[in-house]
Amino acid sequence: MMRNDPIKHVFIWPAVLVVLAISIFPLIYSFTTSFLSYRLIPPIPPRVVWLGNYATLLQEPRFWNAILTTTLIAFIAVGLQYVIGFGVALALNARVPGERLFRVALLLPMLLAPVAVALVARMIFNPTMGPLNQFLSMFGLANLPFLTNGHWALACIIAVEIWQWTPFIILMMLAGLQTLPEDVYEAAELENASAWQQFWGITFPMMLPISAAVVFIRLIESYKIMDTVFVMTGGGPGVDTETLTLFAYQEGFKKFNLGYTSALSFLFLIAITIIGVTYLALLRPHLEKRR
Amino acid sequence: MLRRTFLMLTTSLAMACSASQANAACSPDYSGVTLTVASQTGPYIASALKLGADEWTKKTCGKVNVVEFPWSELYPKIVTSLTGSDATFDLVSFAPAWLPDFVTYLSEMPKEMQSGKDWDDVEPAYRERLMVWEGKIYSQSMDGDVHTYTYRTDLFSDPKEKDAFKAKYGYDLAPPKTWKQYLDIAEFFQRPDKGLWGTAEAFRRGGQQFWFFFSHAAAYTNNPNYPGAMFFDPETMDAQINNPGWVKGLEEYIRASKLGPPNALNFSFGEVNAAVAGGQVAESIGWGDTGVIAADPKQSKISGKVGSAVLPGSDEIWNAKTKKWDKFPAVLPAPFMAFGGWQIAVPKVGKNQQAAWDFVKTLTSPEVSGQAAITGGTGVNPYRKSHTTNLELWSKIFSPTEAKEYLGAQADSINGKNVALDMRLPGYFSYTEVVEIELGKALAGQTTPQAALDAVAKEWNRLTDEFGRAKQLAAYRAAMGLSPKN
Repeated sequence: MMRNDPIKHVFIWPAVLVVLAISIFPLIYSFTTSFLSYRLIPPIPPRVVWLGNYATLLQEPRFWNAILTTTLIAFIAVGLQYVIGFGVALALNARVPGERLFRVALLLPMLLAPVAVALVARMIFNPTMGPLNQFLSMFGLANLPFLTNGHWALACIIAVEIWQWTPFIILMMLAGLQTLPEDVYEAAELENASAWQQFWGITFPMMLPISAAVVFIRLIESYKIMDTVFVMTGGGPGVDTETLTLFAYQEGFKKFNLGYTSALSFLFLIAITIIGVTYLALLRPHLEKRR
Repeated sequence: MLRRTFLMLTTSLAMACSASQANAACSPDYSGVTLTVASQTGPYIASALKLGADEWTKKTCGKVNVVEFPWSELYPKIVTSLTGSDATFDLVSFAPAWLPDFVTYLSEMPKEMQSGKDWDDVEPAYRERLMVWEGKIYSQSMDGDVHTYTYRTDLFSDPKEKDAFKAKYGYDLAPPKTWKQYLDIAEFFQRPDKGLWGTAEAFRRGGQQFWFFFSHAAAYTNNPNYPGAMFFDPETMDAQINNPGWVKGLEEYIRASKLGPPNALNFSFGEVNAAVAGGQVAESIGWGDTGVIAADPKQSKISGKVGSAVLPGSDEIWNAKTKKWDKFPAVLPAPFMAFGGWQIAVPKVGKNQQAAWDFVKTLTSPEVSGQAAITGGTGVNPYRKSHTTNLELWSKIFSPTEAKEYLGAQADSINGKNVALDMRLPGYFSYTEVVEIELGKALAGQTTPQAALDAVAKEWNRLTDEFGRAKQLAAYRAAMGLSPKN
């Protein structure tokens, strides 16, 4: 078949149309809805408000609180996941005894559904009947308000996120570590480089590209956190643990405020894009140095 | 050959007879029909629906499939189904407050169901008010809900406790007439070192919290001199939730949260029932389930020691019109019809509407609903006259004194002169969501009661303007049983 053979259109266009229909059209529809005042309940005929929904959202303290909460969860959880995950991956790469068992056991949390994990966590952290407080009370300590105090609730959500998603970092980092060339380390040992020097001089720089990718994926995923928060705290107490996606869910599927929710989704998209672009821009000089 | 033909004929005849007998047993015959009902996750209500389903299957040979959703998901699931005009559900069970949002999509109750002995047996508060929307009946109550007061009779009748209480507070220990007395009693029995706390109420967001707050506030805001002005001014539709009556209610609700078991802030109604049945608290307020569960020896440590009464009231009630406190000669209870009891309705798009209404008839019949009302965990509380008058029925779970108090409290509340109706408005979730958020802040001490309620009032007024003030006013007046405004 020649490059200019018209038959290519027969194969390409159906695919293009399908992509347009299932992905671009909903996006455009949602974008146009974001300029409307449009509620299903109570049914109000759509009315064009242009940037009204965006302006209202930007003046809404609840929106900024959701941004702050989501950012806190994402950055603290992913930061700790990376440090712990990288550490565990290094240990597993050092061929410790029982490494295979550890590898399987450490991957288990990642295989569980977040809803199931959140349900178990909610029971563990239950202030009155949870085993954690019962354990603490054995030492004469007072019951801690794990899910009824804003700061504690946020800490509990972050802890669950770390527990569940550190295995993903371990998996990716371990795969990266196993591709590093042995001869570089042999040369470093001939030069009497300490383990710490080998890590900072060889391992960390060589792992930087994969680290950047792993952290990027986790950061974006963490910004989309919904199920864990929904089950553990429902966004409470008050709105102390309400994330952007949960806020969007409340507006969209509880109040059926469709125009406002569409605007919120696009602001969320803009926020994620800004964070992603900034992150990559900050890392670019370091990554280019490694090429 | 002749013998074989005779045998075949006899067999055919026998089969035909047995088939006609089977059909005769199905009256009316809905064999082959399967109804799908949307319900909240059991056991509450879902088990009552299943109880009704079993009876309906026996009677009509039809089948009922109860699809359960968590409480927080039920509203969006029903709305999505109704607004999408899909016939997923033949019946939907829901809160009366959601009726204004659903009514466009529901079929009217058949006229023949709106008369007769069973119809008259439904308490007027439900039949004439909560089941009615703009003069028409779109739903049938399948549960009666009013908040009442529950207490431990063993503690209240203990001479030592009575003497100590009188010495401390200067009046007799008895079911409270006012909220001040309620808090005094809670304070008196607050003994964490002995595993006993004052009271239990729901304080958790999404855990039926705001109805408990409304029960406190009803005593100070449901003014018979200006009816229907508890939530909004029925003349202007201005929010009333930040008036002094509401602020007083919130202050007392916050005080109650400090007189409960540790981490009471995490209590939903389920935890309230567990605390009462576990003998952890001296008193409590809540729906009728509390009394039924506490009386059940299988679930309760205080079985045989359960007392009930009407909610406390006040002799001073805020008047939203004069903006002053009205003084009454005696304490006036304002029993709050929190939630208002589950209702069941048939969507217009349903394919089996006749069968669906027939199921409603069976489910809510005095016999089936009476059985559900005395079964702990069904979530069904009295809503028929026969439910509160049939002492024999209740003697299965209560002692005679318990039954008398429980049924008396239920009947006196539902038929109370100053009974307070729950809010029913289009866009209900938008209105209650902000209440939950601000209550959470006030309970956590992040804001003052006045500031929290000012924030709620501001949002309520904004929502009313967004939804259309005139439309909302008309709906509110209809929900409060007031005539349309000219």
